[in-house]
Parts: sequence; structure tokens; C-alpha cells
Amino acid sequence: MTKSSDSKISIQNPYEPWLAEVEKITKEVGGARAIKTYKLVLQDEDAKKNFNFIPGQCVMISIFGKGESMFAISSSSTQKDYIEVSVMKHGKTTTALHEIEEGDIVGLRGPYGNNFDVKGWEGKNIVLIGGGIGQAPLRSVLNYILDNREKYGTLDVVYGARTSKDICFKEEFTELEKRDDVSVHLSIDVEEEGWEKYVGFVPNNLMEVKPSSENAIAITCGPPIMIEYVIQNLLKLGFNEKQIFTTLEMRMKCGIGICGRCNIGNLYVCKDGPVFSYEQLKGLQGDM
Amino acid sequence: MENLVIQTEKLSEWVNEIIKKNKVFAPVKETDFSNFKIVNDYSEIDLSFLLPMVPAKKILFKQTETLFLFTPGSKGEVKSKEISDEKLVIFSIRSCDAKTFSILDPVFLGDYVDPFYKKRRENSILIGLSCNKPNVNCFCTSFGDSPASRDYVDILLTDLDGKYLVEIVTERGKKFIDDYKKFFASASKEDLESKEKVEKLAIEGITRKMKLEGVSEKLGKMFEHPIWYENAMKCIGCGTCTFVCPTCHCFDMQDESTLREGARIRVWDSCMYPEYTHHASGHNPRPARMNRVRNRIYHKFSYYPTNENIVGCTGCGRCIDYCSVNIDIIDIINEVGEAKL
Amino acid sequence: MVDQKQLIKTAKEIVSREDVKYIVGYKQGTYGFVTSPAFAYTPEDVESFIYNPLCKKNLAVYPILEEKLPLKRGEEEDKRKIGLVVKGCDSRALVQIIQEKGLVREDLVIIGIPCKGVIDLKKIEKRFPNQTEVVDVEENDNSEYIIKIGDTVHTIPKEELLSEVCKSCEFPNPPLYDFLMGEEVEVREKEVYSGLRGLDETPIEERWAYWEKHFQNCIRCYACREACPLCYCKTCMADMLDPQWIRRSVNLSENTAWNIMRAFHLAGRCISCGECESVCPANIPLMELNKKLEKDVKEMFKYTAGLDTEEKTLFGTFNPDDPNEFIM
Repeated sequence: MTKSSDSKISIQNPYEPWLAEVEKITKEVGGARAIKTYKLVLQDEDAKKNFNFIPGQCVMISIFGKGESMFAISSSSTQKDYIEVSVMKHGKTTTALHEIEEGDIVGLRGPYGNNFDVKGWEGKNIVLIGGGIGQAPLRSVLNYILDNREKYGTLDVVYGARTSKDICFKEEFTELEKRDDVSVHLSIDVEEEGWEKYVGFVPNNLMEVKPSSENAIAITCGPPIMIEYVIQNLLKLGFNEKQIFTTLEMRMKCGIGICGRCNIGNLYVCKDGPVFSYEQLKGLQGDM
Repeated sequence: MENLVIQTEKLSEWVNEIIKKNKVFAPVKETDFSNFKIVNDYSEIDLSFLLPMVPAKKILFKQTETLFLFTPGSKGEVKSKEISDEKLVIFSIRSCDAKTFSILDPVFLGDYVDPFYKKRRENSILIGLSCNKPNVNCFCTSFGDSPASRDYVDILLTDLDGKYLVEIVTERGKKFIDDYKKFFASASKEDLESKEKVEKLAIEGITRKMKLEGVSEKLGKMFEHPIWYENAMKCIGCGTCTFVCPTCHCFDMQDESTLREGARIRVWDSCMYPEYTHHASGHNPRPARMNRVRNRIYHKFSYYPTNENIVGCTGCGRCIDYCSVNIDIIDIINEVGEAKL
Repeated sequence: MVDQKQLIKTAKEIVSREDVKYIVGYKQGTYGFVTSPAFAYTPEDVESFIYNPLCKKNLAVYPILEEKLPLKRGEEEDKRKIGLVVKGCDSRALVQIIQEKGLVREDLVIIGIPCKGVIDLKKIEKRFPNQTEVVDVEENDNSEYIIKIGDTVHTIPKEELLSEVCKSCEFPNPPLYDFLMGEEVEVREKEVYSGLRGLDETPIEERWAYWEKHFQNCIRCYACREACPLCYCKTCMADMLDPQWIRRSVNLSENTAWNIMRAFHLAGRCISCGECESVCPANIPLMELNKKLEKDVKEMFKYTAGLDTEEKTLFGTFNPDDPNEFIM
């Protein structure tokens, strides 16, 4: 079709992704519910330059011919040249993602959604409470804080997985444990030979750690049932509902608040979420 | 703005002139119902049905749309989809279907602009046709609209028996009609009076009423009300109500490819299907028909008013007409209004 | 004519039983000629039950739709029976599902209605358009429908409003029931289904053009599937993504695939209630496909669906004398 220049479509197509090269794939967890971390580099220099996000935000990743899914960015926004996402093998797209190799090309669009208020939390003590793959968005905050360490108070990282084999970002935790400006509290659900740290569920470990609520912000991500009990325990520890944050998950397609499916009440998780304070969460009326 | 008339026998000539320069969508007869289709000659048009089965939203927001093209596989490549710049005319659109677009604009032209919808919205002229004889389940008047409303169209035709009153509503409509001046004469005072009569009769012909006062607020307190279970029990979970709804806009996105080429398409989806919200993990936030029926009503009568300050329903009555188990949105909303809390 | 009082009395007795959760019947709709499924949990709820020739809906779909949601902690599964009002074809649907082990006979309490045929809603709405007030319709002994609209009584010959499927119905009496409302009715003089007449003589190009015209109007709302009591697969092939049998794109090719595949999946299972066709917003004559397959199945395998719960399903059995034109 021939077109005069003034009628040319200049508006961007928000459904069309950029191309990104998979620079590195890290195997985090094996097995049926395997987890891998993908380091992605945008191919287009302008897109790369203009891609700015804040921890908590998400991206849509495509495997062309298989589909597209939304993932939390698990790298820190202090890293400018690449982003990372950590993906558990679950459905059609994630299974396809688990089959790709380094050097392959995927589609990437975003960033989407709201974010953790990392700027607003400067000067505060931070408690991160994660379970399983739920650590992904927390890792983004964690690394952001580590890169701006002097701006924050104490930093507690509570993390648990089913078994020691299911621990995500294992090497990073090992490195983290060596630092004296972070307290790391790992746990596994059931006893295991050679495991000397906490055995039990994350909410229980949290009660052992007993972080102070004073001048603190707690962020929790993980399975819904874990989040539920973590929040109950945080309240017991004296945290108020404005100090507690979590992220929600919903099935998504467009990622930009048009396709309809990810609503909880009048809010769309893709656009108005994924980050919610417990105060907001309590006020939400909708199917979750 | 200007009011004109066209003799009924001239209508076909005018429309055929329009067809020469534009892609014209108009109701075409199928088996016992009509649908908007591209017409190449006026003779294909059938104005005897009040509402086409699929609402006019399908012209701007197609049921199947290619979003972009790609090369499948792990060395992928993306090719943009060109959006045609052709001029569109939607002929004989009813007030309720035309209102659709003012409801869908905030969705498709909001924080993120949908280029497909935007282009077609900008390129289309809406030529409305007043309803002289509303259907049994019409209730646009419940929203303060009229079956002969000028509010949502560029040009409004009203059948005055022997001639049509042609009301030019918008600047775009005026510019459009300038090309066809020869078909029209100025409307007289009597013509306008005739329209008033026609409109009054049509309004009187609408017998069903949805009582909307306070409904949005009340729904906020009725999330756990038994009314949702009662209606969901008889719901068979087909998506018909959502497909024939002029304001339902949910869609699915899928990759459809052969070995060498692929396309990411979007297709209308329905919140009445369990798969719609089913997570890959197996969890489903809306596992029961109750959740889905409730969400559909809340989306239109609570969430939409909260987010966009407009009710997400135009009163076309299609969801009632096509429901095989008599789930009646007018009755549901009226029950909400009457429910004692 | 079914005695409404007897129906209500029976339904009340059933719903009062401790082992019955609810009973599904019909009630007056909210406008015109429309009737509505009615769920009665108490004898009072049963008061709204009606039965007249407008009660076309096949209620056999409801036990299949009964949702098995994950139980909350401490919650016990409700194993009580479901009561149903069924006509001949609806009862055959139950028989067929039980035969396929989709339902358990003991989980159902069945009120059978000897059926004299039901009215095609599209036909009556065309005859009396824009009917807002609720209308009552009765059938007299003269094969006529008595339709009272306001103060006017219309008497219309039954044939003019009767559903097409009812005209060729061979089983108006329910083969499976616990309570039968009234005497069994006589089977009508057998008539070939209107859509099949002359089919074999129609040239294939013409047939294709005919279906092309209809399938292009399909909006893939799947109302046909959801309304069909025999479409109860846990995951429908149309919803599968991997492998994807039918693409989501709505176009002639995929629409044809959907409608043809559905028809084949119902071969030897369809009980000719006509529900798919009557719920189709695009008026696709789906029963012509189903009736053609019903006829072929009968001729080739001497099998009729939905008559005996103990019989083996057609596609679940192999017979050495099965015709072998296709696979073998």
C-alpha cells in the first residue's frame, strides 16, 4: 500500500514487542517445576537506552509461535544494560522458554505496572520475605538496595523453599550470607540431612527472626497461602497495614489494561498492580 | 447544525455514491437476522431488522485482528502490521450501537492507545438511523438516551415515511455530506415536527425499564448477595451474551503460525469461560459460574462507572434476546435496586 | 396435556426428601414467550413451576454443569441427588450420559414428561413480534396451540409453530424416569427431518455453498456446546492449545473445522433435542448435520443413542461386521 508521509502511522503498536537476545541462562532449580533465570539484552539501541523501570515492574516475554507471558523483572534497575527474569516451567509459554538456548531471540515489551516505592522507602529498615519463585521481584528490590546500600537502614532477607534443591538464586544467597550489612534467614519446609538452618514454613521462620516494625517496610512474595500467613504474622509483630507490601498475580494477555481478564474489582493487576499494600489489599473487593 | 431531507427513492443513489469513495458497512440480511457487512451496492442492505446480531463494535474492534507478524522460533523476527488508512462509513447504525464507541474510547484510547481501534475510529463516519419500532428488550431510554438520539453519530437519518430527515450532527458529518449535496433538500419545520412525533412514538414503544439509581453504590455492598448464585445456577456458561454485547471488549492473544511465518492475533474472548482467568498454576480466581456472572454485571455496572464515569451498557437488549436461559440483565439490576441489605 | 398440578405435587414431594439437593424445572420467563429454568430447593420454590409447549430447554445439561469446586477446610461434599423435569429427548440425553458413565443413575431423580412436541421460540416470536407481556400457551386436543395475548385468543395449527426436530421425533416418551406425568403419548407419524429431505440429490457444490454461508456467520461463542447435554468433555478439543486442533481465529476455515468436528464428536451420541440449533445466535442449522450423522449411524451400525443405560456406547465398541469403508 502506498501512503503519503502525513498519513503514515506514527503511533506505536503497544502489542508489538522488541527483540531481545538471551545472553545468559542460569539454571536455578531442576525438576518438573524447574526455574531458570534469563539475562535479556534488547537488540534495538534506542529501546535499550530508553528502557527504564523500577523494581516491582513486569515485562511481557514472547516466544514467537508459542505465546507470551508476563514476568516480574528480577534484576535491579541499577543494571542498565540488561534485564533478568526468572521463570518457573508451568504452562505453554514457560515450557517453551525453558527450551530456548543462549543466543536465542525472544520478544520483550514493557515495563508494565506499578512498582515498589524504593525511593520513598529510603532511610527505612527493609524486610524481604520470599517463598519459592516469589523471590523474583524481591531480588530486584534486594539488588537495588544493595547498590544503594547507604540509603537504607537494616536489611533482613527471609526466604524459604520446599527443599534445599528448590532454593532459587542459591549462589547469590551464599554470597549474601557473607556480607555483614544484610541478615539472611533461609529455611526449608521439611528436614533434610546436612541442613543446619531453619526447618519449617516461611511464616514460622519470620516469627523466629522477629524483625522490628519500627521504621520498617516489609515486602512479601510467594504462594498465596504463604502470603496470607506472613501478613498475619507481620501484623502480630506490630507492622501496620501501610508497612506491608506484596505483589499479586493474574492471568494476563495484553498487559496494558485492555483485554480485561486480570481485574480484581475495578483494578487491573497488569496496570494498577502488581504491587499492593496490605491496606489496599484489604479494601479490594473482587475474585482473587 | 444543518437539517436536510432526502427522498426515500434517492437513498440508494446516495449510498451508492458513498460506496464509490468509502468502505461501507451496513446491515445485510442473513437467515432471519442481519449483520454488518461490507456492501458493494445499496441493494445488499436490509434495514428491516432493528439490530444486527453482532454489534457495530466489530467494525472498529474486529473479532479477529492480526497484531503483528513474526518469524517463528528462537531466532525470531518481527514485522509490523500495516493499518489500512481507508475511509469507513457505518451506515444505519442505531443509537445504542453508536454509543458503544464513547464507552469503548476510554479502554482503547486510554493510557495505552490501541492503534487499530484508533485508526478506524478516526477514519469512520457514523450514519445513524433512528429506531421507529424498538424491540421488546430495548431499554436505551433507561440511560437517558433516545432511540432517535443524535448524541453518538455524525449524521442521523430518521425515516419519515417517503423521505428521510438527515440531521448533520458533527463537523465531520458536515464535511462528509458536502460531497453529496445534490441528493438533499433543506428540511422544513414540518419535517422536524414529524421527527419529534416519530421519536416520541418510539420512546413510548420502549416498555422495559432498568432502574439505575444508586445501583453502582449498592453493588459495592452486594458482592456476597445470593442473587449472583441464583442467576449463575441457570447460566450454562456460553459466551453468547458477551459476544453480542456492544461494550464487551475482552480479548485473547494467540500465536498462529506455520513453519515459516506467524502472526500474533487477538480474538474476542469471553469472561463467561473458566479458561479466561485460569492460571498456569491451576489456580482460578473465578472458578464458578457465580464468580463469572457476577463479574460481568459488576464490570458493566460498578467497575466501569467507577473507572470511567459511565455505565458499560447501552441498553440494546441483545444479551437478553440471545440468552437461552432467560438471564435478564434488566431484572437483575432492578432486583439489585430493590434488594434490602 | 401435562397436568401442572400433578407436576408441582410430585416435585414438592421430591424436593422435600432429605436425599435431594434441588430440582430443576421450568418457570415463566421475564417477557413474552420465554420460559426459564427454575431451581427449587424447597416446596415453596416449586410453586413457580410450569409446564407448557414453550418449555423447550433441555434441562439435562444441569447435572453436568454442577460445579465440583475445591472443598474448604472442614467442608463435606454434598452428595445429595438432583431432581430434573425431562421430556423424551431430555431423558434420552440422561440415558446417553449414564451409558457413557458421565452421570450416575442413582444421583438423579427424574420426572418424566410424555411430550407432544415443543414450540420453536424463533417461529412464535416471528409470528407475534415484540411481545413484552408474559404469554401463556396451551395445546388443545385438535393439534392446535391456544395463545392468549391480552384479551385476544389466537388458535394456531400446531404444525406452524412446532420445532422441526419434534416433527421427526421417534421417542416422545422418556425412556428413563422415576415419575411419569400422565399417560404415554403416541408416536407421531414418522416424518423425515425437513433438513434431510433431498439432501442426497443436492450437488456437492451447492451443499458446500450452503454451509459456507452459514459457517461464516459463526461467532464461535460455543453456545451450541454449552447448551448441549452431551458436550461435557472436561477439556473441549476447541479449547486445547497444545496441540491446537482449531485455531482461535474466527474465519470460515476454523469455523468450519469447529462445527464439523463438533458434529462428528456427537455422532452416535446426539439425541436430537435441537438445543444447539435453537441457542445458536447465527441460526446455523446444526441439526441438519446431527440428523445426517444420526441417519448414517443408524444405517451403518443399527444404533440409536440414548435408549438403554446398559447398552455399550457406539464408539466404545467394535463389531466384526461393522462397515469398513474408512479405516480398515
